[in-house]
Amino acid sequence: MERAVPYTVPLGQREVFQALQRLHMTIFSQSVSPCGKFLASGNNYGQIAIFSLSAALSSEAKEESKKPIVTFQAHDGPVYSMVSTDRHLFSAGDGEVKAWLWVEILKKGCKELWRRQPPYRTSLEVPEINALLLVPKENSLILAGGDCQLHTMDLETGTFTQALRGHTDYIHCLALRERNPEVLSGGEDGAVRLWDLRMAKEVQTIEVYKHEECSRPHNGRWIGCLATDSDWMVCGGGPALTLWHLRSSTPTTIFPMWAPQKHVTFYQDLILSAGQGPCVNQWQLSGELKAQVPGSSPGLLSLSLNQQPAAPECKVLTAAGSSCRVDVFTNLGYRAFSLSF
Amino acid sequence: MSSESSKKRKPKVIRSDGAPAEGKRNRSDTEQEGKYYSEEAEVDLRDPGRDYELYKYTCQELQRLMAEIQDLKSRGGKDVAAEIEDRRIQSCVHFMTLKKLNRLAHIRLKKGRDQTHEAKQKVDAYHLQLQNLLYEVMHLQKEITKCLEFKSKHEEIDLVSLEEFYREAPPDISKADITKGDPHQQTLARLDWELEQRKRLAEKYRECLSNKEKILKEIEVKKEYLSSLQPRLNSIMQASLPVQEYLFMPYDQAHKQYETARHLPPPLYVLFVQATAYGQACDKTLSVAIEGSVDEAKALFKPHEDSQDDESDSDAEEEQTTKRRRPTLGVQLDDKRKEMLKRHPLSLMLDLKCKDDSVLHLTFYYLMNLNIMTVKAKVTTTTELITPISAGDLLSPDSVLSCLYPGDHGKKTPNPANQYQFDKVGILTLRDYVLELGHPYLWVQKLGGLHFPKEHPQQTVIADHSLSASHMETTMKLLKTRVQSRLALHKQFASLEHGIIPVTSDCQYLFPAKVVSRLVKWVTIAHEDYMELPFTKDIVEAGLAGDTNLYYMALVERGTAKLQAAVVLNPGYSSIPPIFQLCLNWKGEKTNSNDDNIRAMESEVNVCYTELCGPRPGHQLLTNQLQRLCVLLDVYLETESHDDSVEGPKEFPQEKMCLRLFRGPSRMKPFKYNHPQGFFSHR
Repeated sequence: MERAVPYTVPLGQREVFQALQRLHMTIFSQSVSPCGKFLASGNNYGQIAIFSLSAALSSEAKEESKKPIVTFQAHDGPVYSMVSTDRHLFSAGDGEVKAWLWVEILKKGCKELWRRQPPYRTSLEVPEINALLLVPKENSLILAGGDCQLHTMDLETGTFTQALRGHTDYIHCLALRERNPEVLSGGEDGAVRLWDLRMAKEVQTIEVYKHEECSRPHNGRWIGCLATDSDWMVCGGGPALTLWHLRSSTPTTIFPMWAPQKHVTFYQDLILSAGQGPCVNQWQLSGELKAQVPGSSPGLLSLSLNQQPAAPECKVLTAAGSSCRVDVFTNLGYRAFSLSF
Repeated sequence: MSSESSKKRKPKVIRSDGAPAEGKRNRSDTEQEGKYYSEEAEVDLRDPGRDYELYKYTCQELQRLMAEIQDLKSRGGKDVAAEIEDRRIQSCVHFMTLKKLNRLAHIRLKKGRDQTHEAKQKVDAYHLQLQNLLYEVMHLQKEITKCLEFKSKHEEIDLVSLEEFYREAPPDISKADITKGDPHQQTLARLDWELEQRKRLAEKYRECLSNKEKILKEIEVKKEYLSSLQPRLNSIMQASLPVQEYLFMPYDQAHKQYETARHLPPPLYVLFVQATAYGQACDKTLSVAIEGSVDEAKALFKPHEDSQDDESDSDAEEEQTTKRRRPTLGVQLDDKRKEMLKRHPLSLMLDLKCKDDSVLHLTFYYLMNLNIMTVKAKVTTTTELITPISAGDLLSPDSVLSCLYPGDHGKKTPNPANQYQFDKVGILTLRDYVLELGHPYLWVQKLGGLHFPKEHPQQTVIADHSLSASHMETTMKLLKTRVQSRLALHKQFASLEHGIIPVTSDCQYLFPAKVVSRLVKWVTIAHEDYMELPFTKDIVEAGLAGDTNLYYMALVERGTAKLQAAVVLNPGYSSIPPIFQLCLNWKGEKTNSNDDNIRAMESEVNVCYTELCGPRPGHQLLTNQLQRLCVLLDVYLETESHDDSVEGPKEFPQEKMCLRLFRGPSRMKPFKYNHPQGFFSHR
């Protein structure tokens, strides 16, 4: 097939370097602003870019609307996870968590509000923070990552109150079970552990790889993504994407997806998942694949649903992964356009 | 009737004779006692009014008598005849009276006419006199005006003003006392003075002329003397040549060069001046020489008539030949093309010597009709270079200077006006002719001071020294770096083709001591082949794979794993890094689209290249990148997680020291090597 040759502008050293950077960029995390009109995304160079969803979705959107309104260097290492409260944006990557004020960011004043580092045991290498979780009832933030512990930070005082140990390898993802409240964590060791925050101990462990129906040894045993809906939990990664009933710790539905999934979430009566491969997969709870919508990146690492009540016109699904682009799905059936760093 | 007929008869008026029959008339009125009777005199005496009354009375009487006669005749009778006779006689008397009256009337008339005539004549005479006088007056007036207008020649002479005259003239000429009163004398005096002055000045003029003659003669003599001096000086210069060489001061040579330089076309001249200046001031390794035939250059400025004659002759000849042979149309076009692309007979040769004694020879040409400069390049080294197969294009004259500045590929003419000239002779693009004419790079035009602005195309572009000077230093430095990096690559390619990655000792710290993966193959591939590869489409879409780049394929192997690396080498190496795209064949085909770790490996080599540049000129970049690629492959293969379900040992046992095998949501392998601790970690 004849590939069209694009017009090559004379490229000096700087342009070549920038082009190479963009080609090798990975976007790890996304977070929607409290007003619902802006999307923050963090990449592997430690930069955070703020996109204006309202501008990009409006009818007069031009090419510039798909570029960030502000980009700033947030961390020295990659920004693995981000989460927003109604005033703050928390970002975490190489070992520390930083807080930013949304109003400050939007005014392009990019100075962090504070930064904290949880007490690590090892000092040889700074462990990364892979997941952040907000527990609104207790006004605390849970961090988990490379040192195999869950750290709880009280948002009022800024101190680290607990460190929950149990994982034998680093933690990939966290999910909150609102009712109790309990936190689920999935890690590289292949286990999903439930923790009770009040009692500060592990209450349940599910070793996914030990179950034959869902284990896939050639992929490994790591749990890359978790989502929970009170009694139910869906997890994926090395093993196949599976829906579990928590109380009985049994896998109820196995989703026949060959590629390891890196992000999963419940949405209305569907389960959305994404991982290796360019598509966002939509599953029925029964295990059938409802739709596979291709995006523009060769692999996806994060999905974000903008369900902020303040901006119903910006209710979109955004997906980002191994490229410099964030795909925007206005309708779950197709990719509308892509925002790009 | 007889009375009527006597009235009809015009009585002749007798002037001086008196009519005797008029005796009856002489009654009381004549008091004259002259001897003759003058009726004229009588006229003067009688009153015309009374004569008129008399006439009326006489007529009345006649009428009465006639009436009485009539009556009598009609009555008849005897005594009638006597009464009739009586009345007849009365009427005859009345007739006499009437006649006299008639005469008198005529005389009066004549007199009146005569008087009028006389008066008229007098008036005429006066009138004539008046006219004569008027005419004379007019004539005299004309004469007067003529006299008044008369200008004597002396007034045409511009005399000095009065004050000056009185100031300068000697008193015997100016005679102030006489002249001040008398304007005539004054003017005479002034004229005298004028004459004096003129005589004096004429004298002076003659003197000056003779002076001038003398001086001219002296000048001639001196010129002769000087022209005889020139050959003597030449002979002295010749004699001093050996001394100059002995003292290393080649003034003569430089002088000769400047002589020839005078015949250079303006852009080459600018380049010559700037390059020599730069060479003398900053860079002793630069040498400039002029080549070509000076006579031909002089011949370009021959007078037009000669060339026109030649042209017309040749035209005539050509016409004859075209009538005989048809295909000369193409030949004519060919000739026109050759004419358009003609080079100036003189060219400039610049030699840049680099640190390792290799020399870059640049020959600059000027295309006269197109007003652009071109360059041909050649690299010579002290030792003979054995060119490895893959290094064919590195030092080839066609591409060694390509893209010295980004985008300056030298295949298109930089002068936009040339397009119209090309259309006339059917040249599509200059690209077809660059091999023989040289490359018209933009930096060459800038060194020659030629600037072709895109927005405002100018009619004539003239060579500008300041433009050349501002670009000279950067361009020379770039040229040197280019030659040196190409030579370095040349050497490295020779080694790479044998499967050895030549890592210099000062770059060894970047890599662990033991590297198991080996480079197996290093070949060049064509641009089209690169674009066809499935795993390079990202680079192509980003516009980084143009046709000015060089493309290579490297193959790294370890055990059953084969890593293909497609390399894009930008002509601006090593400031612009080579770009690698990887494809690993081991347990399936892994590329950056399906394996994040392959993407990370590419990033290690492409994005983090600044660590791999090595010592200053950065020529080690490519070899360091290749070595790092081997290290990365080692890490990748050794850290691959073992599949528990498959029996048997791992193909590649882990020998590298790693703190953690996986990190982050994408489970990256530890690709970063830490020196001197020697372990691998994540970025």
